[in-house]
Amino acid sequence: MDISLSEEDKAFQQEVREFLEEHLPKGAEVWSKRKEWFEAGKAKGGWDVPKWPKEFGGPGWNASQHYIWDRETCDKSLPLVLPFGQVMLAPILMNYGSKEQQEKFLPDIRDHKVNWCQGYSEPGAGSDLASLKTKAELNEAGTHYVVNGTKIWTTMGHIADWMFCLTRTQTTDVRQEGITFLLIDMKTPGIEVKPIITLGGSHHVNQVFFDNVEVPVENRVGEEGKGWTYAKGLLQHERSAIAGISRTLVSLQKLKRNALKVKVGDGNLMDDNSYRKKLAEAEIDLRALEFTELRSLAGVQAGGAPGSESSILKLKGTIMQQRVQELTIEAAGPYAINWGHAKAGPSFSRMGMEMYLNGRAATVYGGCSEVQKDVISKRVLGLG
Amino acid sequence: MNFDLSEEQTLLKDSIQKFIADNYELSVRRKQSKQKPGYSEEHWKTFADLGWLGLPFPEQYGGFGGNLIDTMVVMEELGKGLALEPYFATVVLAGNALLLGGTEAQKEKLIPEIIAGDTKATFAYAEEQARYNLEDVATSAEKSGDGYVLNGTKSVVWNGSTADYVIVAARTSGNRTDRDGITCFLVKADAEGIKMTNYPTVCGHRASEITFTDVKVSAEDIVGEEGKGIEIVEEVADRAILALSAEAVGAMEVLYKDTVSYTSQREQFGHPLSDFQTVKHKLAEMFVETEQTRSMLYRATIEKEANEEKDARLDIHALKHMVGKYGRFIGQGAVQLHGGMGQTEELAIGHYFIRLQVIDTQFGDEDFHLQQFANKMDVPTEGGDEMMLPF
Ligand SMILES: Cc1cc2nc3c(=O)[nH]c(=O)nc-3n(C[C@H](O)[C@H](O)[C@H](O)COP(=O)(O)OP(=O)(O)OC[C@H]3O[C@@H](n4cnc5c(N)ncnc54)[C@H](O)[C@@H]3O)c2cc1C
Repeated sequence: MDISLSEEDKAFQQEVREFLEEHLPKGAEVWSKRKEWFEAGKAKGGWDVPKWPKEFGGPGWNASQHYIWDRETCDKSLPLVLPFGQVMLAPILMNYGSKEQQEKFLPDIRDHKVNWCQGYSEPGAGSDLASLKTKAELNEAGTHYVVNGTKIWTTMGHIADWMFCLTRTQTTDVRQEGITFLLIDMKTPGIEVKPIITLGGSHHVNQVFFDNVEVPVENRVGEEGKGWTYAKGLLQHERSAIAGISRTLVSLQKLKRNALKVKVGDGNLMDDNSYRKKLAEAEIDLRALEFTELRSLAGVQAGGAPGSESSILKLKGTIMQQRVQELTIEAAGPYAINWGHAKAGPSFSRMGMEMYLNGRAATVYGGCSEVQKDVISKRVLGLG
Repeated sequence: MNFDLSEEQTLLKDSIQKFIADNYELSVRRKQSKQKPGYSEEHWKTFADLGWLGLPFPEQYGGFGGNLIDTMVVMEELGKGLALEPYFATVVLAGNALLLGGTEAQKEKLIPEIIAGDTKATFAYAEEQARYNLEDVATSAEKSGDGYVLNGTKSVVWNGSTADYVIVAARTSGNRTDRDGITCFLVKADAEGIKMTNYPTVCGHRASEITFTDVKVSAEDIVGEEGKGIEIVEEVADRAILALSAEAVGAMEVLYKDTVSYTSQREQFGHPLSDFQTVKHKLAEMFVETEQTRSMLYRATIEKEANEEKDARLDIHALKHMVGKYGRFIGQGAVQLHGGMGQTEELAIGHYFIRLQVIDTQFGDEDFHLQQFANKMDVPTEGGDEMMLPF
């Protein structure tokens, strides 16, 4: 049993620190200087696309290097990269896409020229994704699929240029068969995007409608009817990513700092023992979760896939995110009611409530908690 | 980075597993627990013959120079077997107290005897009014000539009745709750003026209340420095918590696995119980919390072994908190899902549940350690009133 970093890992950690120190835009420049940041990463050898393998221009990091990168960056504000293209679609294209598709799409994903969205869920197909019905029919000439139906909860659908989409090309007894993975240009005639406003007052998700939308066959990934297999492999990676454990620990530290500034009589909220113990209890679970993540990583490093542990991480990780959000609005106290852009009370209170409300979704998307427990009982405990 | 056991540790684990499988049937355990001395002397000899008693002691005293991870392996397996032998009292408690503070003479005499299985010992650190506060010591050790005279009562001393020696924490100076002024003494259990009230514990072990009335000890019997005994008590407590938590994780694993197999066999409503989703989900949660507690066990043990004081301090509190909280969750869950059978003493699971309840009371319970963690956790003071990250 040994968790010390190897000499190589230590050197890598040092390199990451120096790189961040030198290139990470400070404060408000995180938006204006994002281009320079990406350029610097690219010049460094694929550090702009940390998850990508070497053959596609990524750094080809191993599991412990990924871990080090995550740890070193979790408490810093990195220029935002939406995960849909770079993290979710890219590996599918790398594994199953044609050479032409890789050449056409990967460079634009890398250079942030194109925004992607994920079109999997439908009104009738949520947790039970394989029941999806959005229909894609090959036209007579065999040049285009004609897509009809609707996708829902499409995050960033309103700003996306393209969607990767699961469609049904055939209906058979086995519902996982007959699903085809298509890349759809959001500017194609017949597509309509309608906003959905979530509890936190935000417009992140949408419903997308398809009315005889023509998608060229060359935008089909892999074989017709095999889309489920392509999509499925990635869900486990998505789950580990959603868990966001180091990030939640950072939020918890920030919350303590904020709580120190919350006035309670002549003292502050951190003097309140019962509140303090709630924070402690959350931190304890998170510290354990950090090590569960490490154990899972060690398994991956030894050649395994991110298997059942990713379900533990998703399940507990999202619960802990929500717990920290809850404790944040508890800290805000009467100012938790603060809404809109009025400047009343501590400034964390406004965002705190919005995050708490939008945060309820974390135990629903990416496979709801109940499904994660089903996965654990089936795969780990061997229950049918 | 790896969480694998070394080859030696794997062999050790396998040999304990085999011993438990061959010798620790529940009915045998229950019989042994009820008759004197409360465990099997024969097994104790086997522990000695197989080298388990010498594991944590340095080679110069005939031990194997093992580390905290080795002890973790032993305790987890003993936990899976619900072993009754006084390994914890003798090797973990008294053994570590001697290692930390014993004089050369004490160590040279006692450690080889412990390793050979000829001597047993225990650690009398607690008192009734102290509850879980290690600094609260009323038992007095008054200077008298070259030596000291002990007076007072120590409570819940693990395996007192079979101990040949007791290491006792007494006050040589200061007020009852002062940190300074506590001194540890090595006392023969049959010394004049010692009275033991022995009783069985609910988990099948033995404990004693020990009253000291004008018990004479000499300056050579001091373990560690005079007045600085709290350092030994606290360090022994840390190692005891790691050992007990390993035992607890062993018990938690048995509980969730037994419950998986019981609910898969037991049929009601025309189905195995484990077909029902509420049952499945409960089992999944029991598995998750076992793994979470195991993660914290590894974390705290590795940090303690690496002398990372600050993290180890926090994580030992975190661990004991989790062992209490999730031990109860898993124990109660297992009993619930075994239905009527879960309520009987015929089934092993009830005994694991009880053992976990008891472990929660040893060296500070769930709430005590949560409070300690809350007092000591890192609270960054710079900045404040910050915006949170949007997601
Ligand atoms: C903020 C947000 C962003 C999203 N972004 C995207 C996106 O970009 N692209 C995309 O394709 N999808 C997206 N989703 C959709 C998400 O994946 C689905 O919401 C999720 O799969 C659950 O489906 P559902 O909402 O239809 O809930 P349902 O499947 O109707 O489930 C409702 C509830 O029932 C319970 N439940 C469900 N299944 C079981 C079961 N087997 N056993 C016991 N209880 C069960 C759970 O409590 C669950 O929350 C997003 C969702 C949200 C909330």
